[in-house]
Amino acid sequence: MKENPLRSKRAEAAVTLPSFVWLALFFAVPAFIVLAFTFHGHTANGGVGEWSLSTWRELVDPDYPAIVWNTLRISFEVTLWCIILALPCAYAIARMNKRWRAIVAGSIMLPFWTSFVVRVFAWKTMLHPDGWLQTCYFSWLKVSDWLFDWLPGFMQRFLVWAGFASNAPLDAASSTILDSEAAVVLVSVYSFLPFAIMPIYTAAEKFDFSLLEAARDLGAKGFYAFRKIFVPGIRQGIVSAVLMVFIPAIGSYVIPQMLGGTNCVLIGNKIFMRAMQNRNIPHASALATLMAVSVLVPLGMAMYWKKRQNARTSRRLERETARMIVGRGGEA
Amino acid sequence: MSKDFLVFDHVTKRFGALTAVDNVSLTINKGEFFSLLGPSGCGKTTLLRMLGGFERPDSGRIYLEGKDITDLPPNERRIHTVFQNYALFPTMTVWDNIAFSLKLAKKPKAEIEEAVDGILEMIQLSDQAWKYPSQLSGGQKQRVAIARALVDRPQVLLLDEPLAALDLKLRQHMLIELDAIHDQVGITFLYVTHDQGEAMSLSDRIAVVNKGKIEQLDGPAKIYEAPATRFVASFIGDTNFFEGEISSIDGDYCLIDVDGFPQIKAFNDKNLAVGQRVSLSVRPEKIRVTLNPPLPEKGASINVFPSKVKDIVYQGVYTKYWATSSNILISALKPHSRFLLDQETITWNDEVFVWWHPDDGYMVEAK
Amino acid sequence: MKKSYFSSITLALVLAFLYVPILLVVAYGFVPNGVSMSYFDANGAFTGFTGKWYAQIFTGHYSVKSLMQSFWLSLTIAGLATLVSCVLGTTSALALHRWKDRLQSIHYALVYTPLIMPDILIGISLLMLFVAANVECGFWTILIAHVTFCVSYVAMTVLARLQDFDDRIVEAAYDLGAGPWYTFFHVELPILLPGIIAGGLLAFTLSIDDVVITSFVNGAGTNTFPTYVSSMTKHSRNLPSVFALSTLMLVFTCILAGLSKFISRKQPQKTKGK
Ligand SMILES: Nc1ncnc2c1ncn2[C@@H]1O[C@H](COP(=O)(O)OP(=O)(O)OP(=O)(O)O)[C@@H](O)[C@H]1O
Ligand SMILES: [Mg+2]
Repeated sequence: MKENPLRSKRAEAAVTLPSFVWLALFFAVPAFIVLAFTFHGHTANGGVGEWSLSTWRELVDPDYPAIVWNTLRISFEVTLWCIILALPCAYAIARMNKRWRAIVAGSIMLPFWTSFVVRVFAWKTMLHPDGWLQTCYFSWLKVSDWLFDWLPGFMQRFLVWAGFASNAPLDAASSTILDSEAAVVLVSVYSFLPFAIMPIYTAAEKFDFSLLEAARDLGAKGFYAFRKIFVPGIRQGIVSAVLMVFIPAIGSYVIPQMLGGTNCVLIGNKIFMRAMQNRNIPHASALATLMAVSVLVPLGMAMYWKKRQNARTSRRLERETARMIVGRGGEA
Repeated sequence: MSKDFLVFDHVTKRFGALTAVDNVSLTINKGEFFSLLGPSGCGKTTLLRMLGGFERPDSGRIYLEGKDITDLPPNERRIHTVFQNYALFPTMTVWDNIAFSLKLAKKPKAEIEEAVDGILEMIQLSDQAWKYPSQLSGGQKQRVAIARALVDRPQVLLLDEPLAALDLKLRQHMLIELDAIHDQVGITFLYVTHDQGEAMSLSDRIAVVNKGKIEQLDGPAKIYEAPATRFVASFIGDTNFFEGEISSIDGDYCLIDVDGFPQIKAFNDKNLAVGQRVSLSVRPEKIRVTLNPPLPEKGASINVFPSKVKDIVYQGVYTKYWATSSNILISALKPHSRFLLDQETITWNDEVFVWWHPDDGYMVEAK
Repeated sequence: MKKSYFSSITLALVLAFLYVPILLVVAYGFVPNGVSMSYFDANGAFTGFTGKWYAQIFTGHYSVKSLMQSFWLSLTIAGLATLVSCVLGTTSALALHRWKDRLQSIHYALVYTPLIMPDILIGISLLMLFVAANVECGFWTILIAHVTFCVSYVAMTVLARLQDFDDRIVEAAYDLGAGPWYTFFHVELPILLPGIIAGGLLAFTLSIDDVVITSFVNGAGTNTFPTYVSSMTKHSRNLPSVFALSTLMLVFTCILAGLSKFISRKQPQKTKGK
């Protein structure tokens, strides 16, 4: 029997195998190697030792949970800022006429055609201790310190405990914005913001703005209508945006490395340190596994949430998310 | 050779639990304009795709000129398809689209040019040859798709609802063109549609398909006037069904007892015996509606029922009436002549007479 | 229609926020003092602009030698990675689009997952593979890594393009007598080309910009442009040449983007829908 070229298994194999084998070999297999390494000890000369659970036991080291928590907290802060800024931006773009929409949407992505490292370098130069951003930063610290003193004691203790605030007294010399968490958050927001704006804007573009007018007509104030009608209307876009910011933020490595100094070490930096500097491969693997989990959990949650939506819109969201992901450049 | 040109021999195709084509046997003659007519999802496209080589039957064989082509891949069959959405190659001009199969067959250049220019002439698109498909109108795309499939003289041309995407006017125009093209090229056309008008006006023969099975295979007039099954009677055109039992036979005619309705006289074409259950189908255009009863000498042999008009819909060419008689709703069509001058304008709730000749009823199997 | 000033103002501020560093990148390329990176001298006097960093780049001055080396290495790797990932990504998209069986659902997972995994995880896991296989890191490991993360982007872009077209077009080609190869080169490839070019451009920009993955698999002494820049010490005397080179790249990519817009505008429209 002759094979139908449209259905032939051989043709399928021929077209599938190149990418399949490549990705299996260089993506799936390495993932399993990483997982396997976490069940090994490490040797003094930087090798991988015997099978053991010592690596996982060593992860309880007070250092690591703190780093994981810091990474999650900073990623959360970055995501929050990105969404807060992206919402009005997406709204403003979606309300423009077609020509302007294309121009503004394009110019939001344009900065990303310069080298990511060079852009971070430019930030680093800007955040220099003699620069005006330092002055702003220090004033901000003073204001927030003053606000902090107004809070009730239990809230102060909670904020310090969760790492959002510190009890240490302010002093100008040690409070530089360079090598601080604030710098990491600032530049992360800068780097990921376009990837928050684009999905929200895509959703907002399809939003029926006459609904807002109807709401205003019924007496809703501008911001109330925005919050009660616009935001729920573009929920899918917001979910995509959260994922597109949160995931790369979790994996962030270059920004804290160049701008966070020793004051802001995230999982990414620790992985790099363990893998490349102290040659503790099992530890690096275990941290990588933790990072993968912190990515997969929100993703799984989003998927679950999506499942409850009706099938058609969710497939559309999936396709659009894929397109958004495809459209992203720079560091992830 | 004219007989048994294209044969489906007990062909079945399943998709999971669904049997899309159910044990279909069918013979199509050479040069024929053959139509497959049936409701959406009845398996017409599937039948066509098996002939084109895009689907493989689960059982049964397909023969073309005596040769078994069941397992031949599509590119080795001389059967071409005109796809519903045209499927023109968007990156090629009209000319290149049409020349595709000829270039593939490595025909000499001069021959290709002659053939393509010739067929462009036929479809009257010679001046559009260098346009891209996206620059053409729906009707033009349609003609290019037909030309592309016809240019290397296939043995069979398959047309899958080729006019479905066109508007009414264009559809009527293309219908005439298709007919002309078929007469000109003399190739066997297998035409799929769910529009009975199209099938009726074009085909030499029609196969009415329902749920993967062929219900009736006949010429258009036979299918309309003598539907083989209840499904055909109701699918093709509009009809009134009267369910009943034969109560007496009088020569060629019989009387049918219908529950809660006077007896109906009908031509006993099926030679049924007294006591058998039957459905009588009467087409609306065969039924007359008048304010006065028909003339008495005629009244003796025809079916006349007093009724009450329930609804009237003016439709331009004719007016459609719905009238109830003993709780049975009967629809009737009345063509217009001197409509506005007509003395007896029938209006809603009028008492009228509904009548038809016994020869106009047609028996199909009971429900 | 009522305008919302709040959102417009936010948008303006965000745009400024996004562009300030870019303006600085351009400005730093003309700064005379490569140590202080300032247009003002110790007395606060304006020192003017200089083109010497550009001159150094174009004349191949010894001080920019390693920078230029890393730059050319980046271009080579990005070029090769683009080429390989275009081939793999296109076949992958074709397979994912045409067949829908178990093999393809695994295949899809393999293609999709790298898109949602942070780069650093791809970097570390590839490093682990090379450690486990005892491979010396260098040019080839960088190339493999770059192809690995580029394939998915190309595949997704081409897949999106495929979804915009009527599958019947391929059937029509077979129907008219074409075999799989003829169909691919004469029908599918011309249709997919814009998608492949877009995916390739994306792969190229991602590859040339990648620092995270490369820094795991580059081994000692092999530096691409981004890893070289990030390894430059705080007060390298030649920072302005980095900014000058970046400005050149920005201008160049803008021209390329403009060209690609121009090309895509001339493409025949898709056939699906109206
Ligand atoms: N590839 C497939 N997989 C599963 N089911 C299919 C497939 N192709 C067709 N079917 C099913 O087979 C049945 C017949 O489909 P087919 O396309 O032949 O109908 P059709 O008569 O052409 O209808 P229409 O007039 O709507 O085009 C339908 O119920 C359809 O859902
Ligand atoms: Mg069909």
